[in-house]
Amino acid sequence: MLKTQELTLNMGPVHPSTHGVYRCVLNLDGEYIQNAVNHIGYLHRGLEKLAESRTYTQFIPYTDRLDYCSGLSNELAYVMAVEKLMGIEEEIPERAQYLRVILAELQRLGSHGIFLGSFALDVAGATGYFYIFRERDRVLELITRVGGNRLTPNFMRIGGVRNDLGEDFFTELKDLMDSFEPAFEEYNGLLTGNEIFQSRTKGISVVSKEMAMDYGFNGPNLRSVGVDYDLRRDEPYLVYDRMQFDVPVTHNGDLFDRFVIRLKEMEQSVRIIKQAMKEIPEGPVMAKVPKVIKPPVGEAFHRIENAKGHLGFHLVSDGSTKPYRNKIYAPTFVMLSAFPEMAKGTHIMDAVLILASIDIVLGEVDR
Amino acid sequence: MQILINLANGIRSWLEGMGLSAASAEVIMSAVGALAVVIFILTHVIILILAERRVAAFIQIRKGPNRLGPLGIGQVIADVVKTLSKEDIIPAAADKFVFKIASTTLFATALLTFAVIPFSKGMVIQDLNIGIFYFIAMASTGTLSILMAGWASNNKYALIGGMRAVAQMISYEIPMVFSILGVVMLTGSLKMSDIVLAQKNMWFIVPQFIAFVVYYVAATAELNRAPFDLAEGEQELIAGYFIEYSGIRWALFMMAEYASMVAASAIATTLFLGGWLAPFGLDTIFGVTIPGFVWFMIKLYFMLFTFLWVRWTFPRLRVDHLMHFGWKFLIPVSLANILVTGIGIYVYQRIIS
Amino acid sequence: MFGQGLIKGLSITLKNMFGPKITEEYPEQRPNLPPAFKGSFDLKVPKCIACGLCANACPNKVIKIESEKDENNKKKLTGYTMKTERCLYCGFCVETCPTKALLWNHNFELAKYFRDDVNLDLFSSYVPSPEDEKPAKPEETD
Repeated sequence: MLKTQELTLNMGPVHPSTHGVYRCVLNLDGEYIQNAVNHIGYLHRGLEKLAESRTYTQFIPYTDRLDYCSGLSNELAYVMAVEKLMGIEEEIPERAQYLRVILAELQRLGSHGIFLGSFALDVAGATGYFYIFRERDRVLELITRVGGNRLTPNFMRIGGVRNDLGEDFFTELKDLMDSFEPAFEEYNGLLTGNEIFQSRTKGISVVSKEMAMDYGFNGPNLRSVGVDYDLRRDEPYLVYDRMQFDVPVTHNGDLFDRFVIRLKEMEQSVRIIKQAMKEIPEGPVMAKVPKVIKPPVGEAFHRIENAKGHLGFHLVSDGSTKPYRNKIYAPTFVMLSAFPEMAKGTHIMDAVLILASIDIVLGEVDR
Repeated sequence: MQILINLANGIRSWLEGMGLSAASAEVIMSAVGALAVVIFILTHVIILILAERRVAAFIQIRKGPNRLGPLGIGQVIADVVKTLSKEDIIPAAADKFVFKIASTTLFATALLTFAVIPFSKGMVIQDLNIGIFYFIAMASTGTLSILMAGWASNNKYALIGGMRAVAQMISYEIPMVFSILGVVMLTGSLKMSDIVLAQKNMWFIVPQFIAFVVYYVAATAELNRAPFDLAEGEQELIAGYFIEYSGIRWALFMMAEYASMVAASAIATTLFLGGWLAPFGLDTIFGVTIPGFVWFMIKLYFMLFTFLWVRWTFPRLRVDHLMHFGWKFLIPVSLANILVTGIGIYVYQRIIS
Repeated sequence: MFGQGLIKGLSITLKNMFGPKITEEYPEQRPNLPPAFKGSFDLKVPKCIACGLCANACPNKVIKIESEKDENNKKKLTGYTMKTERCLYCGFCVETCPTKALLWNHNFELAKYFRDDVNLDLFSSYVPSPEDEKPAKPEETD
């Protein structure tokens, strides 16, 4: 007798578009997803536990390995949490703060570059991937100049940054920022304006405001549903309150908005970097901090607007050189939990895009 | 190319002089011609593999394979040796017989389409009087091989890919046939050489531009080329219907794809771009007679390049959009084109008489 | 009009097809590395005072220092091994070195055939050079 039957499809951990070692089990009716189940943990390295056996300074390079697309901003979040724990937030020199802003925005450009590139790849536009990675590679070259490594620069320090950056860095940076303008036009021409791309993304996996709030969305994904909330403006840290920038907000909450909002954010990042380059004062880049960092007993939580959302570190100190507990609030881990609901009822081709649109990085999800 | 035809006639008369009957000489000549075409196809498959990689690289601001030999030509040999020397893996749970023949039948159907393609005046294996009909029949048989591959692999991804391929190729067959119909109406013949000769004054791309566009889109879908490569669906189905294939069986799928690409381009050249005819009557340039074969190849390569160019520019369509596009846009457009062509022919005949 | 974006995309790809290429033909064309680049390690053995700060700074306990006291009761380096297979390449060791004896070099081709070959023995692989013989001046002591 003929009958129909649900197809259980195992997607991942070795699948070209799961952005790492993520696995989900899909129940398919034809090619439409009835149910999706997340399976994470393939990249678990126990970073939170590792932090308990490392000194405060020694944990900085590990934060690079969280969301390996935005190493500098991860370091920034952690370093600022430690500074809050020690109560030396006010002592950070101006120049260091400006450098931190420039580098965090540079890293945002790199991270959004990965997002746009891999999203282009997931709609099978491999050419867009290469055009976007051309600019991203120049960002990475600048980060190499700063930190010595492309992805794990280890440049932020508790109390400032590792060393001052010379004039050649700033000329190179200015050159790069100028080259972004024509590059955006190319991305828009190749992807955003393309009718096939629009038909693939517009109106797919619409997330409502309520659903986004319930799941604890943050970062660009939250702003794509119409919630105007950006930590850089609403809870300003460093010198963001002196910068003139817009917070792009879109209102449909579909895949297209999640793509476009990141493009717009890149434009704003370029704007912030240009301002910061103009305003950066001379001076020291490191506050006076003791060689051995021993924060007082207590706890501190600090979060910043990372490229992917709010990255927060909750540190508990018992007065020794090592933290008692280090809890990492990872934005993509939170947002990945919404994937089954976002994917329900969509086509399997869209599921790949939805996963990409969350901008997951498994290093951060599994920690 | 007159030289080749003279050569063929020479061999034929030599064979007859050897004491063979005219019929057996004809059989041998057909075999020789078929062999020549097979060699032609295989050369083109090899060239295309390299061309695809190079063009993709240039479009993607890369340099592509350029290490082995001048312009990376040696890369072709490396690719062939690599695929030939790979282990032939057949999954334990596969339907082994179907799995084994699927790749061969696909390549065979791709080869068979070349029987009716006129490379130049008189350079055609069999100038059938239903040539274009034969081409459509052969091209659509490929669907079955893809379904066989998808089903026999016993893999869920392969099955989805195979099913997609069938749905897509069957629905795009119809607009393709309709678009060809416009040309056939203008010539009143299904014979390839007649169609080419009818374009002596004007290529059919001018009166049948819509048909050309429809044919191009439908042919891209027929070939499973991006942006319609849903059966392969690299991002969600990894490799689609040939996910379980390896080594030379996998290479046969690739070769079949490129061979059908050459065939589709050749048909587009024949039907719309005037086949072996020179453009604007430029049979001789600066006193040098350019053979029709050369013109044919130039047009063929232009068409092939557009296939590559489109592939590396556009994202992939979704399955339901693809179906909507096929049934709700291309078929009405091609039907309207037939209607307009019919009216045009009627009006033209009225004016003439 | 439908199709405008498609044509624009085609024109962009065609333009880039004939535009400049960004491929770096690696083995012949060497990457232009900045001074801060972290490749592998160099140890100027005469400069090293075997203070052990680098080993302490290391998050992963990569560095192992062996030393003995000479007749002046001064520490003398007798062995310096790095288990680079565990190294994070964070650079804390280079940063803390008071005599600038441990330095980064620009050698990034670190792939080896055997796992043990990855680890560095900086003491025995040291090639003496006259520049290193200048007396070590500790900037600060802990």
